[in-house]
Amino acid sequence: MLIGIGIGFAVGILPGLGGPTTLALMLPFVFKMTPVEAFAFLLGMAAVTNTTGDITSILFGIPGEPTTASTIVDGHPMAKNGEAGRALGAAIMSSLFGALFGAIVLALAIPIVRPLVLTFGSPEFFMLALLGITFVAALSGEAVLKGLAAGCLGLWFATIGLAPVSAIQRYTFGQLFLWDGIGLVPVTIGFFAIPEVIDLAVQGSSIAKVEVGRLGGVWQGVRDTFTHWLLVLRCSAIGTFVAIIPGMGAATTQWLAYAHAVQSSPNRERFGRGAVEGVLGPGAANNSTLGGSLVTTIAFGVPASVTMAILMGAFLIQGLVPGPSMLMPAPKGHLAVTLAMVWTIVVSNVITVAICFLFLRQLVRITEVRGALLIPFILMLIAVGAFAEKNVFEDVMIVLVFGALGWVMNRFGWPRPPLLLGLVLGPLAENKLFLSTDNYGLAWLLRPGVLVLLAVILVGLFWPIVSKRRRRATEAAVAAPGPETRPEGEGRGLRLDGASAFSLLLVILFAWALWQSRDFGVRAGLFPWAVCVPGLVLGLAQLARDLTGRRDEPLSEGLGEAGPAVPADVAARRSLEICLWILGFWVAIWLVGFALATLVMTVCYLKVARERWPITLVLTVAAFAFVYGIFEKALAVPFPTGQLFVWLGLS
Amino acid sequence: MKRLAILVLVVILASMVPAGAQPRFFEGKTVRIVVGFSAGGGYDTYSRVIARHLGRHVPGKPTVIVENMPGAGSLIAANHLYKVAKPDGLTIGNFAGGLVLAQVLGQPGIEFDARKLEWLGVPSREVCVCALTKASGVTSLATWMAATKPVKLGGVGPGTSTDDAPRVLAATVGLPIQLVRGYKGTAEIRLAAESGELAGGCWQWESVKSTWRQGLESGDVSVVLQIVTKPLPDLPSVPLASSLAKTEEARQLINAGIIVPTEIGRLYALAPGTPADRVQALRAAFVATMRDPEFVADARRSKLEIDSMSGEELTRVVQNLMKLDPALVAKLKGILK
Repeated sequence: MLIGIGIGFAVGILPGLGGPTTLALMLPFVFKMTPVEAFAFLLGMAAVTNTTGDITSILFGIPGEPTTASTIVDGHPMAKNGEAGRALGAAIMSSLFGALFGAIVLALAIPIVRPLVLTFGSPEFFMLALLGITFVAALSGEAVLKGLAAGCLGLWFATIGLAPVSAIQRYTFGQLFLWDGIGLVPVTIGFFAIPEVIDLAVQGSSIAKVEVGRLGGVWQGVRDTFTHWLLVLRCSAIGTFVAIIPGMGAATTQWLAYAHAVQSSPNRERFGRGAVEGVLGPGAANNSTLGGSLVTTIAFGVPASVTMAILMGAFLIQGLVPGPSMLMPAPKGHLAVTLAMVWTIVVSNVITVAICFLFLRQLVRITEVRGALLIPFILMLIAVGAFAEKNVFEDVMIVLVFGALGWVMNRFGWPRPPLLLGLVLGPLAENKLFLSTDNYGLAWLLRPGVLVLLAVILVGLFWPIVSKRRRRATEAAVAAPGPETRPEGEGRGLRLDGASAFSLLLVILFAWALWQSRDFGVRAGLFPWAVCVPGLVLGLAQLARDLTGRRDEPLSEGLGEAGPAVPADVAARRSLEICLWILGFWVAIWLVGFALATLVMTVCYLKVARERWPITLVLTVAAFAFVYGIFEKALAVPFPTGQLFVWLGLS
Repeated sequence: MKRLAILVLVVILASMVPAGAQPRFFEGKTVRIVVGFSAGGGYDTYSRVIARHLGRHVPGKPTVIVENMPGAGSLIAANHLYKVAKPDGLTIGNFAGGLVLAQVLGQPGIEFDARKLEWLGVPSREVCVCALTKASGVTSLATWMAATKPVKLGGVGPGTSTDDAPRVLAATVGLPIQLVRGYKGTAEIRLAAESGELAGGCWQWESVKSTWRQGLESGDVSVVLQIVTKPLPDLPSVPLASSLAKTEEARQLINAGIIVPTEIGRLYALAPGTPADRVQALRAAFVATMRDPEFVADARRSKLEIDSMSGEELTRVVQNLMKLDPALVAKLKGILK
C-alpha cells in the first residue's frame, strides 16, 4: 500500500501522467501479489492521485490528473492572487473529507446497495446525464452564450466515433482510432496543459510570478473547509452518488461538483477568479468518487470508471468475482476484502494528507523554478502521458489539437469547462436515451424516478433565474446602476479579428457537421442533429455579437492576464516561438521516437533559452533517463520507433 | 516494398545459416503479444497468463511481453498485425475471432486478409448461451417460444455474440426476440437484466458462469439455450439451438453466424509471411504451453478455462469460414447488417 501511495503521490503531482495510465502500466506487477496486497497497492495509488493532482492544478494551472482539471479554474487564480497556501490547504482538506465520506458511504452501503441501484434503470440514468448537462449553464460564468456554444461543441465531439446503437461511423474520416471516440485523457491534458505552457513561455518567468512563493494561509484553507462544511458535504455526496452510475467517474463528478458550488453560491461573479468554494467542491468530489465507483464495481461487477475497469481486471486476475459475494462474510463471501478496501482508502488518504502538509513548502518551491527549465519536462510528460494510456500515437496528436483549441478559446474568453462536461456526458445521454425508448417506448417518461429527476432539473434551471431576479430587484432598490454596466465596445462597425474568425470557424464546423449527418438515419443522427442545430444558432449569435463589437469581457479563467505585463510585440513573438517549439517537439517524437526526442529537444530548448551547460546536461540526462529508463525499459511502454529510422531501414 | 526487402533479406540470411542454428533465432529476443483490447479485460488476462509461460516452450527461450492496442473492437490490432508488424515471428496478434466473419461479410474497416495470416491457436473454445432471469417469465425454451411479447435481450454492438446471436436466432428459428442494442458490455446487460429492464442476453458461457454465478446458483437466472454443436458437460439438459433449426440452411446459418465465430473468439495469429519454421516453432510452443501443468494451474488461479485449439486446426476453421457458400454469405449479410 505504501508503495502504491508513493507511486500515486508522484503520479498525481506529475502533470500529464494520470491515474488510469499508471494503473494500466502497473497491472503486470499486480499478478505477483495476494488479493489484499494487490488492492491495497492499487487503491492506495488511486486514492492518492486525486489529492496530489489538485496540488499541481493549483500551483501550475496544469491538471495533475485528468480528474483534477476543475480545481484549476479557481485554484490557480487563487495561487496567482497570492493565496496558494489557502487554496492548497482547502484542496487537501476537502480531499480528505471527500475521501472519508466516500469510504463511509462504501461501508454503510454494503447491505442496501443492491436494491438501491437496481431501482435505477436506463431512463433514470438518462435523466441524470441530462441533469449534468444542464450544469453547463452554471459553468459558463458570465459568457452564457459562449458557454452554451462550447457545451454544444463538447457534445458534438462526443458524437465522433461509432454510433452506439447502429454502429454507423460518425465523423471518423475513415480513421480507425476515431471509432471509439475521442479519449478524455488526451483531451483534458491538451486542453489545459498546452495553453498554460504557452502562457508560461510568454511570461518568460517562473510560475510564481511574485506572490505564490509566500505560503501563508494553509490553515486558512483548512478552516475554509470547515466553514463551508455543508458545501463540502454536498459535493462529497455528489461525487459518491453520481459515481455509482456506471460510466460516471471523477472526470464527470468534479465538474458537477464545481457547477454545484457555483450554482449554490450567492455571488457567482467571484468564480473563476479565485473563489475558495470553487476549490473545495471539486476537491471533495474527485476524492469521494472512489468510494462510489467501488460500490458498483464490487456489488455488481460493473466498472464505473476507467480506474475501476482496471481494478476489476485485478479482481479477476486474483480469482475474485465481483458481485454479491463480495458483501457476504467469510465462509461464503469476501467481505473482509471489501472492508480492507474501505480501510485502505481511509488510511492512504490520511497518510497522503499528512505528507502533503509536511512537504507543502518544498512543493511550492517548484513554482519558483524558471519556466524555461520546466517547459521541456512538462512537454515530455504531456506527450508520454497521452501516449501511455492506450499506447496510441494518435492520442498524442489529439493533445496537440485540443491544446490549440484550448489556447484559442482561452484567448477569446470562451469558457472551457462546458466543453469538457459535454464531452463526458454526451455519450451517456445518447446511449441511455435510446436504451430507454427501446426498452419502454415512451412509457419511461412516466417512471417515478424520471419525474423526480425532471423536477430537480427544472428547479435547477429556473431557481437561479428567479433568485437572481429577486436579488436584482432588491439591489436595484438599494443602488441604481450596478457595476455591470461597462462601456460598450469601442467600435460600432464590423470587427474582423481573431475572435470573429473563431466564431465563424465554429459556425462552419457546426454547419459542416450537420451537413455530414444528413445520411446518418434517425438513430445515429438524432443526437448530432440535436447538438448541431443549437450549436449553429448559438454560434451565429456569437458571431453577430463579435462582428458588431458587443463583447463579453474576457473571462479570466485563471490563465493569461495576471502577472507582470509583457509588451504585446514580445508576447506575440514568444507565443510564436513556444508554438514552434511544441510543434518541433511533436515532430521530433514522430521522427526519432520518444526517448531520443526528449534528449534532443531538451538540450536544444535549454541551450536556446541560454541555460548554462552543466544545468542543461544534468536536466537532459534526467529527462532522458526518465523516459527511456522508467517508461521504455522498466515499464515496457511500446513507444513507436521513430519514422526516420523506419525510412532509413534501421529498425 | 519494404516488407518485401526485409523478407528477401530474411530468406537470404536464413538460407545462409545451417538448419540446426535456426532455433537460436529467438534467443535473447523479445516476443510481443499485441492485445486488441485494453488492460484488465478478458483478452488481456488470457494473454498475460500465456505470456508468462509461452517463452519456456520456444527454442531459445525468448522473453514474452504483452502490449495493449485497444480500439475498434480489436480491429486496430488486427490491421496492425497485417499491415505494420514485421513478419519475423516476434509479434503475435490477439484479437476477436468475429473479425474473420466480418471479413467474410465484407464489413467496413477490415484491412487484413484472414487467408494470409499465420494462425497460432486459441486457448479456449468459447460457446454462446442465452441466459434469462426468472423475473422475465422465461425459464425454459418452451416458455420462450410461447411468449406473446418479444423477449428483450441486451446487445453490445455488431460483431459481438450479444448482438449477432439474437439476430441469427430470430431470423432462423423464429424465437420471439427484441434486441435492445447499445449496452456498454455484458456487465451492463447483467445489471439491466437484474433491474428488470431486460430479460437477459446471449454471450459466452464461461463469462456467464463466472460473473453470474450467484444468479445461477440461486435460480434467479437460468440458461435457456446453448448454441453449440454438442451439449456442454456442465449444461447437459439445456436444449441446443440447432435442435430448433428446421432446415439445413438454418443450421448452417447458426453454425457460421454464431458457433464458429464464438469458438475461435480469442485467437492468436502471426503476421503474413512469417518464416515457416518460426511459425512451426511458435505453434508447437503454443500447444506445449496449453498442456503445461504450471500454465494450467496459473490459468485456474485466474479463473480462466483452457480448452485449446492448435494452429493447424484454427487454420482449417478459418479456411472453411472463408469458403462459405456465397448464397449463405448473402443471407447472413442480410441478417447481420
